[in-house]
Amino acid sequence: MEIQVLFFGVLAEVTQTAFKHYRGVTSFGYLKMRVGDDFPEIAHYNFRIAVNNELINEDPVLKDGDEIAYMPPFAGG
Amino acid sequence: MSYKTLVPGPITQELIYSRLVMLAGNTDCGGHSVFIGQVRADVKGAKRVKAIEYSAYENMVEAEAGKIKGSILSEFNDVQSIDILHSRGVVMAGEASLFVLVSAGHRRHAIDACSRAVEMIKESLPVWKKEIFEDNNSEWKENNLA
Repeated sequence: MEIQVLFFGVLAEVTQTAFKHYRGVTSFGYLKMRVGDDFPEIAHYNFRIAVNNELINEDPVLKDGDEIAYMPPFAGG
Repeated sequence: MSYKTLVPGPITQELIYSRLVMLAGNTDCGGHSVFIGQVRADVKGAKRVKAIEYSAYENMVEAEAGKIKGSILSEFNDVQSIDILHSRGVVMAGEASLFVLVSAGHRRHAIDACSRAVEMIKESLPVWKKEIFEDNNSEWKENNLA
């Protein structure tokens, strides 16, 4: 599967990355592992993950073309 | 008619005015409640905030703003409309970065729904802010939801 990963807020700053495209993704767990390997610095931060604009509470089943966002605690308003 | 929630830069007086004039002639509403959020020149130690830089997950902002509006309309049955605008990019201290306007048949729902909407925005809108100080240093800021 091809998955687009987005970073926001402080995570975009520490990774120096707004988005990264991943190919050959077999599962959500696999994607998290690859992202963790590519960007070990994110382990120091609190964040939540959204899949296609929806926050997730458990590991989702991914499909080709999904968009995964790594998001620090919100600070709007 | 629906508008995009995110506005580049500060929410100007002209934009606020343009939203308020749309209320004229609505004979079903008895009350309109407005909240305007503004960047405050907070002092942190020896540093003073001169601006906030807002960044956002744009598609998700639109989705969440839609959910907030739907939730308000269903929780407050007297509310007829709700308008939400949020800045992205740099907003200087003293400029507005959030605009919420709720129109209802009666004042109680207008006031309560506006207050509830502001809290929901703070909890669930995927927006981030970086405080920029007068010495041009900057620091990420989290919401105080207390």
